[in-house]
Amino acid sequence: MKSVWRQPLFLIGFGIVAFFLGGSYVFEWIFGNVPKQTFFIEENGRAVEGPPISPSWMHPLGTDQFGYDMLAKIMLGAKYTILAAMAVAALRMLIAIPLGFVIGTYFQRQRTWINALIDPIHYVPMTIFAVLLLTPILWMPEEGFSTTINERIIFQVIIMALITVPIVATLIGNEANLLYHQEYILAARTLGASRRRIIIRHLTPQLREKMLVLYGQQVVESLIIFAHLGLLQLFLGGTDVDYDPMFGDPPKSISFEWAGIFGNSFQYLQGAPWLPLGPAVSFAIVILAIAAMIEGYTRAMNGKVKLTKRKKMAFVSDETIEWNQQQLKSKLILLKKDMTASK
Amino acid sequence: MKGFFKWVVQFVVALISILLISGAPQLITGFQKGELLWEEYIETLQFHMKSLWDFRDLSVDYYIGRGEVRQVPVFPQLFENISYSLQLLFLALAAAIIIALIGTFITMLLSEKSRSRVKLIFYFLESFPDILIILLAQLTVVVIFQQTGVLVSKIAVIGDDKIYWLPVLCLMILPMIQLYRLSMLTFEAEERQMYVELAKSLGFGKAFILFLHIFRNAIISVFFQSKKTMWFMLSNLFILELMFHIPGIMYYMSENLSGILFLVTVLSFFLPVFLLYSLGEWYFIRRMSRGGAAL
Repeated sequence: MKSVWRQPLFLIGFGIVAFFLGGSYVFEWIFGNVPKQTFFIEENGRAVEGPPISPSWMHPLGTDQFGYDMLAKIMLGAKYTILAAMAVAALRMLIAIPLGFVIGTYFQRQRTWINALIDPIHYVPMTIFAVLLLTPILWMPEEGFSTTINERIIFQVIIMALITVPIVATLIGNEANLLYHQEYILAARTLGASRRRIIIRHLTPQLREKMLVLYGQQVVESLIIFAHLGLLQLFLGGTDVDYDPMFGDPPKSISFEWAGIFGNSFQYLQGAPWLPLGPAVSFAIVILAIAAMIEGYTRAMNGKVKLTKRKKMAFVSDETIEWNQQQLKSKLILLKKDMTASK
Repeated sequence: MKGFFKWVVQFVVALISILLISGAPQLITGFQKGELLWEEYIETLQFHMKSLWDFRDLSVDYYIGRGEVRQVPVFPQLFENISYSLQLLFLALAAAIIIALIGTFITMLLSEKSRSRVKLIFYFLESFPDILIILLAQLTVVVIFQQTGVLVSKIAVIGDDKIYWLPVLCLMILPMIQLYRLSMLTFEAEERQMYVELAKSLGFGKAFILFLHIFRNAIISVFFQSKKTMWFMLSNLFILELMFHIPGIMYYMSENLSGILFLVTVLSFFLPVFLLYSLGEWYFIRRMSRGGAAL
């Protein structure tokens, strides 16, 4: 695992995610959880600009229509959005990995059928699923919520995790099944290894790298679904709806999470483009950071499978093996040179 | 025959699961109050089935402003919106496939080193969120309009006119990048096959081998793996229609998502795409089993 920390791509990605997450808590600790509000900007005693105020040194990302500082809102909201996406992905993997292993191990014959039945999910837009199932939880009914914000967040995370479990589980099942055709697993089975042992000793270490990559992709997917839901006014932890027929406020997000900031500000695109751009760019930065982490991780792990510690099996010492490898390498280089010279 | 039976089962199971999910909000609402609303759930399902059965006079609720409900018949009014959505989807899909394949051809002709650089760039481009791409596209149009007074394309649909090329462009970009990366992977895997070596040693040119041999074999694998892209595109279409105010099917959904509307929407996308993919699979599998191309 040490070499992951030497991959620049991984480090950059990790740094950015850590900055947003850690920064979010530090920011709240220093400035409190209410963003600074500016009602107008004065110049020589005259008000020159009212909210939404365009970006300046005082408000690097401008302010929203009520004068709240956008940068503060984004920093305060970062932790909710990122942690929720990570939780969704983690829960999804926790359910899908055992299921996938079971499909790949015990249902090998029925696998084509399982695949065929899961396959049509690919033709149904996920966001619509999410919207249908989450509206009764997140959209405030006229008489107010009957659940607490924590309950709603937990419900939302569970539902979002469950939605794509079938697809992720069959994906893992197919990967596991590929491994069953490998010679060393055939050998292990011939030697009498039980299925449980094969799962623990062979599948888990072989697939660990792929699972982590898959986890990263799931985090990215959940982030994107959060953004989509935000556009539909379904915010993390519930949407506060004002049912006043005359002067109803627009639907509000309860926390400052990014989906809410984005969903509320999208309509200001033409008049005040910094409003929707701020959260959208933050989404993009975090997603790119995770992509960089995935790429760095795969580069570090390329070809290396981390096995649990086991007894040494080799009959020759490490130095001998290393020397052999070096010899082989130099021979190959010579051979390659020969070939290019003769071309 | 066995394949056809399997296809029918697949189709029926998919339809039943979509129907079961369409009533799920009832269950979730009940669950929040701590009670199981099984009877209501089954009643909703029955109602949905009954309304789907006489689909000719099927209609969905549409909220105008606050509280006012208008009934919108599915045929012909909603059908028009659906066909507009589908047009956008398939136009973007076709454009994405064509550009991705052309891009793959060009990159495959490059040297190994520059290829890996191009691939890294596209890896990061792929992870751009769709909302940002649409936002940037709309902003660009606004800025161009403010600077030069030329309206490149409308960024929102007002009234009855339809806009095509900007939404298609926005919808196309991300699937194109995904397909490009996918086909690069399969083309490169295919390039390491023995028959390519053989063709090279026989003195055929790189472009010739690429087009005549690798392409034929790789395209099958690309097709089978492109389902994920399709899936992703469907969600994108949804967001795109919202952001462009496109009077497609999604427009009704953002106002009020009833079980019936969910069914109509999902089915109107599921049926054509499912048929398309089934046909494609049938064709490619037949071609493969004839021994025309090895996977």
